[in-house]
Amino acid sequence: MIGPSRVAELEMPGAGVETAAARPAQSYWNESWERLRDNRLGMAAGVLILVLALIAVLAPVFSAVLTHYEPQTINLDQTFVRPGASHLLGTDELGRDTLTRLIWGARVSLGVAFLTVAMSLSVGTTVGMVAGYYGGWIDDVLMRLVDTVLAIPAIFLFILMSILFRPNAVTLAAIVASVGWGSVARLVRGEVLSVKQRDFILATRSIGARDSRLMVRHLLPNVLPVLIVAASLGVGQIILVEAALDFLGLGIQPPTPSWGNMLTNAQSYFFHSGFLVAFPGITIFVTVLASNIFGNAVRDAFDPRLKSH
Amino acid sequence: MSRDEDHKDDGFAQFEQFLEEWSRRDFLKRTGGAAAYLSFMGGGLAAFLEACAGGTSSNTPTAKKGGHVVEGNFSDIRTLNSMLSSDTASNQVIGLMFDGLLNYKKDGSLIPALAQDLPKTNSDGTVYTFKLRSGLKWSDGQPLTSDDVKFTYQLAYDPQYKAVTSPRRGDLSKYIKSIDTPDPQTVVITTTQVFAPFLSSHARYGILPKHVLGSLDAKAINTAPFNTAPNVSNGAFKFVKWDKGSQVTMERSDSYWAGAPNLDQWIYKVLPDSVAVTNQLKTGEIDIGPVDPSQFDAVKSADNVAVTEFAVPSFTFYAYQLDPAKKGGQLFSDKSVRQALLFALNRDQVVSAVYFGHGSVANSVEPPTSWAYKQKPQVLYSFDKGKAESLLDSAGWTKGGDGIRAKNGVKLKFDMITNAGNKQRESMLQVMQQSWKDIGVDATPSLIQFPQLVSQITNIRTFDMFLVGFNFDEDPDQGQLWHSRNTVAGGFNGFDFKNSDVDSILDQAVGTLDKTKRKQLYGQFQDIMSDVVPAPIILFNHGIYGVSKRVMGADFGSFNQYGSRPWNHSVWVTDGK
Amino acid sequence: MLVRYVARRFLASLVVVLGVTLLTLILMDRTRGTYVPGIDLNPSLRPEDIENLRANLGLDRPFYVWYLTWIGAVLHGDFGHSMIDGSPVLSHILDRLPNTLELTATAIVIGVLIAVPLGVIGALRRGSKTDHALTVTSVAGFAVPQFWMGLMLILIFSVTLEQHGLPWLPSSGAYSAFNGGDFLDRVEHLILPATVLSFFYTSIWSRFIRSSMLEVLSQDYIRTARAKGMSERRVVYLHGLRNALIPLITLIGLELPGLVSGGLVVEVVFGWPGIGKLAFERALQYDYTTVMGVTFFATLLVIAGNLLADLLYGVLDPRIRYG
Repeated sequence: MIGPSRVAELEMPGAGVETAAARPAQSYWNESWERLRDNRLGMAAGVLILVLALIAVLAPVFSAVLTHYEPQTINLDQTFVRPGASHLLGTDELGRDTLTRLIWGARVSLGVAFLTVAMSLSVGTTVGMVAGYYGGWIDDVLMRLVDTVLAIPAIFLFILMSILFRPNAVTLAAIVASVGWGSVARLVRGEVLSVKQRDFILATRSIGARDSRLMVRHLLPNVLPVLIVAASLGVGQIILVEAALDFLGLGIQPPTPSWGNMLTNAQSYFFHSGFLVAFPGITIFVTVLASNIFGNAVRDAFDPRLKSH
Repeated sequence: MSRDEDHKDDGFAQFEQFLEEWSRRDFLKRTGGAAAYLSFMGGGLAAFLEACAGGTSSNTPTAKKGGHVVEGNFSDIRTLNSMLSSDTASNQVIGLMFDGLLNYKKDGSLIPALAQDLPKTNSDGTVYTFKLRSGLKWSDGQPLTSDDVKFTYQLAYDPQYKAVTSPRRGDLSKYIKSIDTPDPQTVVITTTQVFAPFLSSHARYGILPKHVLGSLDAKAINTAPFNTAPNVSNGAFKFVKWDKGSQVTMERSDSYWAGAPNLDQWIYKVLPDSVAVTNQLKTGEIDIGPVDPSQFDAVKSADNVAVTEFAVPSFTFYAYQLDPAKKGGQLFSDKSVRQALLFALNRDQVVSAVYFGHGSVANSVEPPTSWAYKQKPQVLYSFDKGKAESLLDSAGWTKGGDGIRAKNGVKLKFDMITNAGNKQRESMLQVMQQSWKDIGVDATPSLIQFPQLVSQITNIRTFDMFLVGFNFDEDPDQGQLWHSRNTVAGGFNGFDFKNSDVDSILDQAVGTLDKTKRKQLYGQFQDIMSDVVPAPIILFNHGIYGVSKRVMGADFGSFNQYGSRPWNHSVWVTDGK
Repeated sequence: MLVRYVARRFLASLVVVLGVTLLTLILMDRTRGTYVPGIDLNPSLRPEDIENLRANLGLDRPFYVWYLTWIGAVLHGDFGHSMIDGSPVLSHILDRLPNTLELTATAIVIGVLIAVPLGVIGALRRGSKTDHALTVTSVAGFAVPQFWMGLMLILIFSVTLEQHGLPWLPSSGAYSAFNGGDFLDRVEHLILPATVLSFFYTSIWSRFIRSSMLEVLSQDYIRTARAKGMSERRVVYLHGLRNALIPLITLIGLELPGLVSGGLVVEVVFGWPGIGKLAFERALQYDYTTVMGVTFFATLLVIAGNLLADLLYGVLDPRIRYG
């Protein structure tokens, strides 16, 4: 696959290798960001995710301003109220306000997703870079480890670990990340292998730069686009995984609201209160869609041959 | 409330059936629908039949032969060996293929099955003599004799069969002294002591064929192929195949003692969840299925399904940790606290909101289906927030600055556990949390997986409070839950309730066969429990079944839900398919 | 060369299988507490009964003793009996495995059949409205929770269609309860679950085919072919598509490991009697023997899938050689 540094060379005709080595990243990055900015759909998706993240972080503020209800306060006189003036998105089987729970649920669902991605990416990138950079037996051992992790049928492991650790958001993130880092490691290792042989790397090594410095300052920026794509797509996928675990009864347990467990909970009442299924369902769909679109947009932006315009 | 619904549904089902058969005669055109219905219900059926000139004079439609029924449920069976089964799914399917000495009627009274009559007991009530019906045959033609009965029980009480992992061993090995078979039609069971629940609880086990299993040693019986493919049976239906994870298929047994069943096949199908029951009752993929309270309205609205609801001997309750060495024990040792918390619960609202009205608030520890049920025991608990608060105040639990009550520096704060996956229980914990928050008590719900809950209750016991459900059978004995002997490791009295009065009443009550005396004793028992409330019963559940309107003769009731259904062979389908 | 490579991978795989099964056992044992598999809250059970049952199942031994005994038995081909229902674990697995494979294989086939045309169209009409529409659809395809889609499809194609007297699809099981089992019956039951499962594959693969086609079509040899006057159709299909499909095979290969457990949620929603559902239910019931047996097989299959994928990649891409 054409690496980003080669694109940089093409962009600056006549430039020698040294010039390319000195500033391979900057113009490529600028170019890519411009491409991303031009992709209006992608940017909109990215903004949406940021907004949702903001809502998640500031949940108490948002819910106090928008609804005045608590996410866990029940009111058995007000069950299954249809969306309207008193409850903008209606209430559930225990009289809890749906909009409030969606807002607080963002905290849980997005929190788990971002945390999981952060954990998988940090562990995976480290392992992948070390394996790819050093090669040899280190690479062998680490990749065998990755193979082992990837050999475990992931869903089995989730089930067993969910029984082990009564999952709250943090432990759930750790559980999902424990199988997710493997594919990140493979991905990063692949990128590192293709970039490792570039002249500017050899050049920097020859002037005696420390390994860690090399990895962080030169390899990492080249690997970053792949990581951003993985992160963006990952957030969406983890939300779906969390929802699936909730459906199986293993994820975030009520009364803590998460989008997934709100959706699962509402299934039985679909016949008379379909809105209880619709709202968390739409929320999940829109968020995951946004993360997918943004991830694709980043990928298109950093790999110009694949853009759609 | 449920009784009326019962009758209405039955009546309507019959009426619809009636219309189907007579529609050709333009019945409605001539008489008008409403008038027809009213007169039908008013018993004017005979008159109408005559008016329609001809037809049968009986007022029950004749059973059609042939066809099949698909019954759905949530779990797959585990075994088809009556002495090894401990789950309802297995018991249900076993009940279709194996009869016991006795069976239950809908109301819990005992009726003879393989036995010809109810057994004769001797004067001190320790010897039961059963006479088997004559001409009983296994499905392979072999005669069913008293040897088979003795063999079946031996698997659970005889030391020779100790290695058989029968969940019945505890009671049977404790209470059976010997079983004699003076002749092929007679079984004499001698108990070690007078044990009142014996007949009700232990005379209904499906009898197993000695000529098939007798040659195996104890260990081999646990893994015998018979357990998953019983090729010889004595019930209304016989085994065809078990598609693991999908269904059990059974076919008519022509050698059944009560007469060959009307149906050709009975199929037990495994379903994913309660919504699937609703969907498949509607589409007709299943004919019979248990209905979750949240699905009641959805199933009721389907015009091809009749819903029947009845009280069942099961209840949902929460237990206070009473072991003084544990944190919960210190909070709940005072009776006032226990009573106050119960007064603070609006249980009517729980039944109507969490169970959608399909349950009844519990006044007593005995379910209303029990003949020993006392409707108004000594202390009754209505929803009384004021009383709850004053009880707590007088007990010395005063509200602090944060609104939580405390006494001697200890806050009235605790955790509640129940199992994940049961929506009603999850909701109930939240109702409890909210209700108690309103009176200054800080209770936090926590959901754990079912195995962990069982471990907690029976062994680990670090809980402050748990919420769970229990099913009893017909006998009013509740020793497993309340007797102090069951506070040992492994017992269900995991909340450490020790009351010598209750112990002695329970022991006396199983030690006599005199029903009047037992009723009086259980009356005392319910009075004490209503005062002491170690584990308040929140509500008594209802059993709800959806039955396709093409299925006739399925007479579900309080004690005719799962394994004990004496009418299996008389079920028939109106379309004969 | 190849044989040695396979042998080395195989040995490494054994280590992996041992590791995974041991991990599974540790997790189950550590979390079981005092629960005895299959024993619910049954008033007729006494403490002595429960002790008896526990001893019979070998649960009073430390887990490593249990594990070694189990490994010993497995080496003889004996996977033991389920702790819950006493039937042979192997019979449980062999009964269910074909169902799972049937489901996931069908989903993969459907996925390929839909993804390839969609991807090709997207690539050929790059930048057009069609391309945008296809992008959004495929990206939307993997934004929907599987269980939710399953339940919606059941509602529409099973319940609603039936209520309106139209031909409808069954909502659970692999075949009809009564008189079922023939080919058409099985296909009917396969449609909904396979559709839900394939949605995911279709969405990802159509994107991939598109980008793969774009990459291939920008290669020099394609330009050369065009310059030589080859018809556009031949350029696209003969050269372009064939080369673009090569990485897809790898992608499919990457899905092979997921064949066993990938359909778990779908199996649960549709009551499909597969191995994923078996493992899930038995894990929650702490049926050690069954779960260990299923994990063993599933891990073996995952490893075989990985190996197959790597080999296919090597075969199809002549630039890669194995040493």
